[in-house]
Amino acid sequence: MNLGAVRRPRSSPRATWAFTIAAALGVIGFVGAAQWNSSVERQAFTSSAQQVLAGQVLQLEEEQQQLRADIADAEAEVQRIQEESTSSSATLAALNAQLERARLAVGLTAVSGPGVVVEISDSNRVVPPGENPSSYIVLVDDLRDIVTALWASGAEAITIDGERLVASSSIYGVGASVLVNTSFLSPPFRIEAIGGDGLLDRFQSHAAFTGRVAQRIEFFGLEFAVAPSDRLELPAFVGTARFRWGVPVTEVTP
Amino acid sequence: MSARIAQASLFAVALLIGILLVAQLRSQARPTEISSLPAQELSQLIDTLGERNLELRTGLADLRETLREYRVSGSQGQSALEVSREDLRRITAFGGLAAVEGQGLVLDVEGHLDAIALNDLINELRNAAAEAIAVDGIRITHASVAVQGPTSLVIDGVEVGTAFTISAIGDPDGLLNAMERPGGIIAQLEQFIQATIVARQSDAISVPATEIDLQPATAGTAG
Repeated sequence: MNLGAVRRPRSSPRATWAFTIAAALGVIGFVGAAQWNSSVERQAFTSSAQQVLAGQVLQLEEEQQQLRADIADAEAEVQRIQEESTSSSATLAALNAQLERARLAVGLTAVSGPGVVVEISDSNRVVPPGENPSSYIVLVDDLRDIVTALWASGAEAITIDGERLVASSSIYGVGASVLVNTSFLSPPFRIEAIGGDGLLDRFQSHAAFTGRVAQRIEFFGLEFAVAPSDRLELPAFVGTARFRWGVPVTEVTP
Repeated sequence: MSARIAQASLFAVALLIGILLVAQLRSQARPTEISSLPAQELSQLIDTLGERNLELRTGLADLRETLREYRVSGSQGQSALEVSREDLRRITAFGGLAAVEGQGLVLDVEGHLDAIALNDLINELRNAAAEAIAVDGIRITHASVAVQGPTSLVIDGVEVGTAFTISAIGDPDGLLNAMERPGGIIAQLEQFIQATIVARQSDAISVPATEIDLQPATAGTAG
């Protein structure tokens, strides 16, 4: 069929303009109403003690961003000095090679490789009357189960929203907020894991995944997607990698 | 003429929509989410963020001290060697590649904990700033998780019985308070799982190095 030969009835220019303007006014009305509603909420908020507390939270988060940036800069500077000093002596070169391997092994180096990307977010379903709304949001347990299943399936490096998981990392719930390392994260959560062939299949069939979080995804409609990736790049851990209470007992050679 | 007026009107309308949309998106961003949290949760956030920022400040000070030592050592090879050795000790201890000694908390656990419960205990210790953890002598690294094996729980390929000890190096008071707080992890586990968990502080805890090879086979240095 020649679609070009079909002629559609043309509406008058005036009717088109009228429709366009009506639609635009409709959108303005909707957005304006939404804006007005949220402004009312904010107004209510400003009159409470929560304003002070919320301001402190934001201030602490800003301070943390700066501290993390400073730590990343200082770590980079230490590594630069170590790399530059490799030519100083054979002993120092061997030591710095050990340092590089140790950093790679424990999560203090950015890494790349094939792997799996998992995304999970709160359910879009309307919470039925009488049901607990918290069942329909991503809980800290869901993230822990996913991470457990990934490690148990042979993942070599994992990040949650860019937070690299290391030996000291916890995934912790503070009210409805999720804390990973030092950062507060909010949904949608993106978990990236680097690992060898079969990581995706092992993850999806692992009991740590199928036992609880997979059922919550099905029952409560948590938004969930998982896909393999040919190349992921995961950042290094940014934070404190120093002990206050523990002392290493092994001697380092050379 | 009327067409131009109409076009100008439409432009003004589109501009207004844009401004309102931006304002709406801003009002839905993080500040509104934070403001909508209850005061108790905000207080918890402040406490937690304050603690984490203190840790970061301490870590930054240590790093700057390392940098200062490198700069002072300058061309003196032996000094640079010593700074690098110290950095290697720090990194291997942090990641579980080296054994660690120090003060901390010991948990004597007896009962039928499942893998989730044991992982939750480890997570709680990490959150309480434990620096090195071992379960019955198995060093917990970034990739160590408890899973249900054929007959018992397994960590890093090693079976864990129904009675085991968790050793955690860190601030003994901070660790004990975190584990034993009302409604905390020990109270929850003892309520929902048939288990007894006895926590005791110790001045001398030894945590071994991991026996797992942590060098990645697939992941390589980025860049």
